[in-house]
Amino acid sequence: MSAVPAGFVETKLVDPFEIYVGPIFDSGALGSRRFAFLADERHVNMRGIVHGGMLMTFADLTLGQAVWDMTNNAPSVTLNMQTQFLRAAKAGDLVEVLPQIVRRTRALIFARGDFTVRGEIVFTAASVWKLLGQN
Amino acid sequence: MGELPDGLPEGAELASIGGFNLFVGPLYRLPDSHEGAVKRFAFVAAEKHMNAAGSVHGGMLMTFMDVAMSRTSRLISGAPACSTVSLTCDFVGPGRLGELIEARVRVTRQTRTMVFMSGELAAGQRTLMVGTGLWKIAEPA
Repeated sequence: MSAVPAGFVETKLVDPFEIYVGPIFDSGALGSRRFAFLADERHVNMRGIVHGGMLMTFADLTLGQAVWDMTNNAPSVTLNMQTQFLRAAKAGDLVEVLPQIVRRTRALIFARGDFTVRGEIVFTAASVWKLLGQN
Repeated sequence: MGELPDGLPEGAELASIGGFNLFVGPLYRLPDSHEGAVKRFAFVAAEKHMNAAGSVHGGMLMTFMDVAMSRTSRLISGAPACSTVSLTCDFVGPGRLGELIEARVRVTRQTRTMVFMSGELAAGQRTLMVGTGLWKIAEPA
């Protein structure tokens, strides 16, 4: 559908909801992958601004991929997500993030990301993940 | 506009008009409860909303909370547009395919330019998510 941004490859997705709102792209080595999506007409609200729900979905997806990468795909769930919306993104914008893993304990992973368009932060998210089966 | 899906309570009306709302929808508005203090919304979890583990995707639940709070902020301010400033969501339990998922939003405080809200998503008696949100009234009425 949409062209692959230069330097990126299409991310393999398995969740039906992610496939539905995707495609998503990534670049770089496992463990330090940068992610991107190209905002299109499906992702915007009636004012032409990328919907907060799409940014939060992209955050859950990309921070989750980073958690997966560092745990060799161990099963985990999102416990909580905190978000801030700093600027509007529009259709045609490439929204990018380099997820950060802030801390890992036996059972929890703390992740965050600054989401940028043309180098300016539009959105930030921090989430806590539970590794299933770990106390 | 077509028939409402089975299981939607009396008085439900379509809340998705266009854009991402409609793309991930349809989403519905339900009649208020608690003498108007609680604004209610609903959607039926479909295949497209799911993750590979068989639960409703967290992104969809946060999207639904965002839509419910956005609509509530417009309803109570009368402003044509409001923007999400921040939203915090706790994922309390999983949503399942086919469930009617309901959002209930209360306004904690409204100022001239801001709206503070809290909300929950539930499927029947089970709480799926609790959240707090801060919205900016983009164009005060």
